[in-house]
Amino acid sequence: MSGKLFPVEEIGSLPKAPWLLNYLRNADVGPSGFEHLSKWSKISGFENESETRAILAKPKEAAKQARLRELASIFTIRYLESAGLDYVYDGEENRIEMYEHPVRNSGGFEFYGHVRSFDSRYYRKAACVSKVAFRQAYHLDEFLLVKQHAKRQVKVPITGPYTIAEWSFNEYYQKRRAADYNDLRKLKFEAKRDFVMDVAKQIIQPNLKALVDAGAEWIQVDEPALTTKPDEVPFFVDAYNECTAGIPCKLSVHICFSDYQLLYPHILGLKNCSQLALEFANRDDSKRSAYDQLNLLNEFGDKREVGLGVADVHVDDIESPELIKNRIEYASKILGDPARIYVNPDCGLRTRSWDVAYAKLTNIVKGAELARHSIS
Amino acid sequence: MVEVHLTGVFPRSEKLIAATRAAVRGNLPKAEVDSVLKHDIDVLVQLQRDSRLDSFVDGQINWQDLFRPFSQLLSGIDPGSLTRWFDNNSFYRKPIIVEKVTLESNDFQQYFRSDLLGKGSHKKAILPGPFTFAHLSENRAYSSLPDLISDLGRALGAIVAALQERGYEYFQFNEPSICAPGRTKAELEITKHAYEACAHGISGKSIIQTYFGDASQVIETLLDYPVDAIGIDFYATSIDSLKEYDFNKVLGCGCVDGRNSLLESPKELTTFVSRVRESLEPVDIHLTPNCDLDFLPEAVAEKKVRLLGETKMLVA
Repeated sequence: MSGKLFPVEEIGSLPKAPWLLNYLRNADVGPSGFEHLSKWSKISGFENESETRAILAKPKEAAKQARLRELASIFTIRYLESAGLDYVYDGEENRIEMYEHPVRNSGGFEFYGHVRSFDSRYYRKAACVSKVAFRQAYHLDEFLLVKQHAKRQVKVPITGPYTIAEWSFNEYYQKRRAADYNDLRKLKFEAKRDFVMDVAKQIIQPNLKALVDAGAEWIQVDEPALTTKPDEVPFFVDAYNECTAGIPCKLSVHICFSDYQLLYPHILGLKNCSQLALEFANRDDSKRSAYDQLNLLNEFGDKREVGLGVADVHVDDIESPELIKNRIEYASKILGDPARIYVNPDCGLRTRSWDVAYAKLTNIVKGAELARHSIS
Repeated sequence: MVEVHLTGVFPRSEKLIAATRAAVRGNLPKAEVDSVLKHDIDVLVQLQRDSRLDSFVDGQINWQDLFRPFSQLLSGIDPGSLTRWFDNNSFYRKPIIVEKVTLESNDFQQYFRSDLLGKGSHKKAILPGPFTFAHLSENRAYSSLPDLISDLGRALGAIVAALQERGYEYFQFNEPSICAPGRTKAELEITKHAYEACAHGISGKSIIQTYFGDASQVIETLLDYPVDAIGIDFYATSIDSLKEYDFNKVLGCGCVDGRNSLLESPKELTTFVSRVRESLEPVDIHLTPNCDLDFLPEAVAEKKVRLLGETKMLVA
């Protein structure tokens, strides 16, 4: 646990810098892109504004693109640091997104096209067509850059094995079990277990090892899909234990927009997990009833730290420091031990504007400070 | 000979996805999107013809989700917030029932494209079932869920009547929620009456399609409903769990997985259909996907339709 009460941690991805996106898309960075760079450089103390501006001002060059990506990471680290966070990363500025990035950088997957998320919004979904395989430590360069430049402590987010499997089609592992074809339900269920376990062993474990060997002290395993199929929560527990066994760093799990009751008692079986980072704020009300779900931890004797989601990432309303403080105090009373609480937004703020995300983050920091004074 | 049918939303082509995305950003006029949409439906109809399917659907390609059209066709329903669609990584807008539900619009043409299904074809319409519609809505208007189910049955019945006049013969009511835990006897009883309202006048075939859940938990009740066929998702229901029931209806054999890109082998599907026939002895069998094919990229969904056709020939 940290020595400071209610340390504030980053939790996931931030919006991509508009000037980076435009440059990568061969689009005009435009006045608004330069204004964005200038504004947030001033606020955050970003030390490479001139270099960034010089790259953006010239036609796109392959050699400069890699450097611009690095600069975007540093830019975002400073943004988080200036907001006052205690644990930072780079907002995942250079990941495609949390699913496609690991899958494109691992073996065994093939993309066939888009599938619908909702309305007219689609995402690319991969099929696992052969045994999954480690191809490269796909967060290593990113981590080394963050480690080199961050002035605060670092937490590395990595997409977990269950979510990768759940968000993919499972061809290979189901085909391998073709003998079970007479009971399709059982076939699919068992093939999924094989798939999740292999992602853990073949992909996640070597990635965790590479990060730890490079000096990572805290890695957060992201599992937003974990309760999608309640019967399969035990798959995750086994897979997580498999890939984190012997990994000598702090490990935590981030779960969001889920029914946490479905996690218990299975999740008590996680052996190398010191924190559960959970989302609450989006479903909260004036009675703080969302946070009553923390009673589950008490009920099951779960003594781990909690990453407490105190800001809704899907609305532009800015939670006041007093509201944040109130949420922290309420959670502290339920858990009975304020030292177990870290504070964070519900999830990544990638769907908010830079202004809104910053206002939320700074108020989280202020609210944590108020709670710290109130409780200590 | 078994009949072969599609059971839900068919995925949009990559071209249509790009077009709708451009339209949302204001970069493409609606008329151009409509043109690509029409082309998608034409291609799907040809695919069904090539695969010798026994009814043709329009793929509900312009539906945003199972309920959205009904916030326009029926009064008293507003589209609400995004909500997870069962255990999928996809979402629907939860209908909000704000006042009594009745038929409001006769503008069926935009959501039921019978004009594109070809003359002489057996046309199939797919609708949400009243139980699922009620369960997945936020009820702000009715004092009880059974009252809402009852009114939805009447409103859907009015739509069915109008669609019959437009040449539809097959009517499928999607009821994934009916397999989920939490249903009450009173709800199931009123749902039977709702089907008497919405399926009573169907001169063709009426089908209740269950999916994403274990149908054995409710099959005894469903077999007593006034419909011709019950569709079963065999990726959620085992054959053995249905053995004890007298399957006095047509069985929709959902054994082509709409949620996995792995292509089933027609030979294995044939074996599976034989096993279902021997074990359950239904009145007849319709070979189908277990759910919408909208969870797949369009290219994969197309292959699944073709293998349904191949299996039909093998079974024959």
